[in-house]
Amino acid sequence: MSTPLSLSDLDLPRRNGELAFDAPWQSTVFALAAAVIEHAFGGDREPFRQQLIAAIAAQPGRPYWESWTAALEALVQALP
Amino acid sequence: MSAGGHHPAPASPVEQRVAALEALLTERGLVPEGFIEEITRRYESEIGPMNGAKVVARAWVDPQYKQRLLADGTAAIAELGFGGPEGDHMVIVENTPGVHNVIVCTLCSCYPWPVLGLPPAWYKDPPYRARMVREPRTLLAEMGCPLPEDAEIRVWDSSAEVRYLVLPERPPGTEGITEAELAGLVTRDSMIGTARL
Repeated sequence: MSTPLSLSDLDLPRRNGELAFDAPWQSTVFALAAAVIEHAFGGDREPFRQQLIAAIAAQPGRPYWESWTAALEALVQALP
Repeated sequence: MSAGGHHPAPASPVEQRVAALEALLTERGLVPEGFIEEITRRYESEIGPMNGAKVVARAWVDPQYKQRLLADGTAAIAELGFGGPEGDHMVIVENTPGVHNVIVCTLCSCYPWPVLGLPPAWYKDPPYRARMVREPRTLLAEMGCPLPEDAEIRVWDSSAEVRYLVLPERPPGTEGITEAELAGLVTRDSMIGTARL
């Protein structure tokens, strides 16, 4: 019988995946979107999601976090 | 970050755009002190597939929890302390010997963050988003998850609100092990539906 595992030291999120972010600018732009959603849209994620869908559709081959950046730029431009 | 930081590489165009966004949003008071660091820390070390693995293991050992999980995913997941953005309307889809479930977001990258963290790169890429709907059996086989011809495949496309999580089948031969050990067997891909256990 193996030693019982504790849930807390089971593993890091990257265990069966990759790191969440490849570069600091990616985590920054991820967090900036969270900030805008939370502080300018009262937590409503849908306006950003619509911009992200549009940004991905506009350039399907563009790297994901660059589409994310374009989506956030478009969302911010529309802020009052 | 370079080790010494004395000769940082020049910022790329996208890095410059992100820096401009950060400056603008900070000036408008939308980015509280420490917010970026806190969000990054959370998604790099607290929120990930180990959360979903705990949910799955609990459902395997506790039939009443499983019932609650299938009836109201969001509430049952909150019982274990998980919730937040992209997890407001959780629906759990259960694999059975005859039915295999898999999740996708055809339009962007919707994904159940509180239980799986941020999606892997391939989940966000056009081939996965298009092919999982068009030819799931072929794509699953290519991803190392071949399914019997008579197994029904259900593809769940995340919508504006709903986020899906696959409840994989408990592997045979695991009757004697603890809930924590069971959680250690659950992989991210098994909860997306691109792998079986």
